[in-house]
Amino acid sequence: MKSGIVGFGILASLIAASVVIPIYAPYDVVRQWSSVEYWLENPRWAAPEWVTIFTGKNEPRTTVFDPSSFRYVIVRDTIVDQNGREVNLTFITATRRFLWTYDNFPSEISLYIKAFFPGNTSTEPGSSPLVSISLRRPDNQTVQLLGRAVPGPEFNRTTTYHLSSSTGAAESVFGNIRKWVTQEGVLPSDVVAEADILPHVALFARNDTAQLNPARSAHLLQGQYELRIEYVGFSLNDTLEPRARLYGTVFGLMGTDERRRDLLTGVLWGAPIAMAFGSAAAIVVVLSQTILGALSGWYRGPVDEAIQRFADLYLIIPVLPILIIIALLYRPSIVAILFVVVAFGIVGSTTKVVRSIVLQIREEQFIEAAQSYGASRIRILFRYILPRVMPYTFALVALNVPIYIFLEASLSFLGLGDPTLPTWGSIIGQAYTGSALTYGFWWWVAFPTLGIVYTAVGFALVGYAFDKVINPRLREE
Amino acid sequence: MGFVKHLVKRAVFLALTLVFAIYISVVIANGGGYIDKILRDQIELEVRQQLAADPTWGDLNATERAALLNQRISGRVEARGLNRPFIERSFIYTIDALTLRLGRSQVLTANDGSHAVGDIIAERLPRTLVLFTVANALGALLGIWMGLWMARKALSYFDRVATVVSITTTVVPPWVFGIFFVLVFAYGLGWFPPGGWIGLPAPPEGGLAWYLDVGWHMMLPMIAFIVATFGSWSYTTRNLVLQIMDEDFVSAARARGLPERTVLTKYVLRTASPPIVTSLALTLIVAWQGAIITETVFNYQGIGQLFFDAITIFDAPVVIGLTAIYAYLLVVTVFVLDVIYSFLDPRVRALRR
Repeated sequence: MKSGIVGFGILASLIAASVVIPIYAPYDVVRQWSSVEYWLENPRWAAPEWVTIFTGKNEPRTTVFDPSSFRYVIVRDTIVDQNGREVNLTFITATRRFLWTYDNFPSEISLYIKAFFPGNTSTEPGSSPLVSISLRRPDNQTVQLLGRAVPGPEFNRTTTYHLSSSTGAAESVFGNIRKWVTQEGVLPSDVVAEADILPHVALFARNDTAQLNPARSAHLLQGQYELRIEYVGFSLNDTLEPRARLYGTVFGLMGTDERRRDLLTGVLWGAPIAMAFGSAAAIVVVLSQTILGALSGWYRGPVDEAIQRFADLYLIIPVLPILIIIALLYRPSIVAILFVVVAFGIVGSTTKVVRSIVLQIREEQFIEAAQSYGASRIRILFRYILPRVMPYTFALVALNVPIYIFLEASLSFLGLGDPTLPTWGSIIGQAYTGSALTYGFWWWVAFPTLGIVYTAVGFALVGYAFDKVINPRLREE
Repeated sequence: MGFVKHLVKRAVFLALTLVFAIYISVVIANGGGYIDKILRDQIELEVRQQLAADPTWGDLNATERAALLNQRISGRVEARGLNRPFIERSFIYTIDALTLRLGRSQVLTANDGSHAVGDIIAERLPRTLVLFTVANALGALLGIWMGLWMARKALSYFDRVATVVSITTTVVPPWVFGIFFVLVFAYGLGWFPPGGWIGLPAPPEGGLAWYLDVGWHMMLPMIAFIVATFGSWSYTTRNLVLQIMDEDFVSAARARGLPERTVLTKYVLRTASPPIVTSLALTLIVAWQGAIITETVFNYQGIGQLFFDAITIFDAPVVIGLTAIYAYLLVVTVFVLDVIYSFLDPRVRALRR
């Protein structure tokens, strides 16, 4: 019976998890599962934090530099230019020193600059505020990342420089890094192709031939860095709010996926979704198959023949391809999928098992007794036969739950599940289409798979335990 | 004669099942109007190609062209009965699928560039059949052998552990094992290729090397499949054998002093084989359908992965054609096993005399 206890333990832990999840990640978070903005602050493809224990490497966590963490030097003054005009000026220098002691490169860098420049609509050329961003490295080299005018439309709005993608506002950064590498570094310019540059690697790498190589072979330069933002505005009230984020390579207990989503949230929410779907489908299907099987065995004759032929037919129908067509053409929600799955399970193998049990029960004396006092056939079926059959169905329900969990997972894996919910199958499917295995993002695949296996094994063990209780032949002496 | 009658009855029933399965697929697929749209598009394409090849086409002006095009298309549409009510059309589509007139794919092609759905499927079907037939056979053999062993050592420590292992591996489908195996044995240890059915882009030339390469690519999916299926065999066999061992005729055989091996093979297994064949049918039905995901996980280019590809790029004719092929595959599988069953089950065999 040990295995049964383990099975119940697994199910209890899953139920406990389902209760705890709303505390870790409320339903609002799950509603954001398919949104992009909600997860932007997480690193991409980050491994679980605890892998550092095994690798012994101090992997970078995501570091955020808030506006309040910068040191500011602000000078506001009015000068007279050579034409005798008064010009208001604001110089802001924001610096942020940080010690990079991690054993790996950050996975991405983002800078967010919010400039507020009242009284300036930048209609006059040359009157736009100027911003320049540079990074001083431990080897005392200074890399000019950006030097540009802030155009009017960016007034009072945050401009994001996502340094790790060569598109958008950060475009010129790539050129600047290339220029710096060819000037200060040892690489001849013809070796350096702009497209190859990974800013988050090149900026944190030692000046050697491997500097532009991907993170695995470039040499990390640890020590004191200084991010410096210089701003010149043409009024006395200009303000600057700089913010920076160095994305880490590890995150949380289960890491993140391609869309920066916290996999712990997804995997935990997968549990109640899978359990609800699996249990609902299994209970309805087994109940319906049991009742039809009992009807078949009790009434015999044409009813029996019809139900049995129907069951034979249903057993051979290619359910999965048909389900796939339905899912493909109609994009059903998870509840609609549940209805379809149940519709394809109203008769099946349980119908046959129950029928053979009822065929035995109908010969027993208590049925004869019921008949002799004049109980109607339908009354005997529901009052005497079905209660006798029910215990068998407990085991069948437990053994059927994993089948439906995996059926839903199969559809989700193919990308045909409910897109708004984090199900285990959909996470595994996205990992597959995102080539997680090729790139070695094992956590993206392993945790949802383990979740699904854990649940299935729990139900299987419980079903087996029921089976042993009901089937004396299987009982251990 | 009764024996033949029994098989004919089964064949008729299975044929009806086939028609029914294809009919529901057609109705479902057409609920969204997809088959209609595909067929109209295909007719239009054909008509356009035909007209473009016609030398007088170039002399016509735009309105004349449109008129001619519409006339030709509606002629074709009528000829194929596409303008009739849906009930009638659904029968036309069903007959098309049943006679394996599967039409043309929209995007997917066979290796030789053919767009005929039949060609695309024919190219891949053997790979799936070989992989899953061999894997099923090996899984069944391993499972039955293990089940016999468990029954002989019933209630021992080995039996208990093996029972729990059997039960827990059975509920997990092959593709889930596949994911772990690809992760560990292909990417982690590098023992097997992570996917594909043959080494690309340069498959080995020559007979033996070619077969070895194909076999090597088949190993991992096959192992995953065997691990996922042997458990149901061993558990079923164990319980059946234990049940039969209690029967009087087995005790009688033992009492006559027959060796245990003979008792097991000639008396116990003999009696257990019909129900084993029945469960083989169910296992195979699940296996063929599971191929859709198992093959996708291993990137094994059989019909399962074709199904997945067709879904992802929305190549509906291929999806519907494959569903028809699946219906055929299941029905033929069940019929073959019915024949085997009728040879094994003495009650059905008795009808022969």
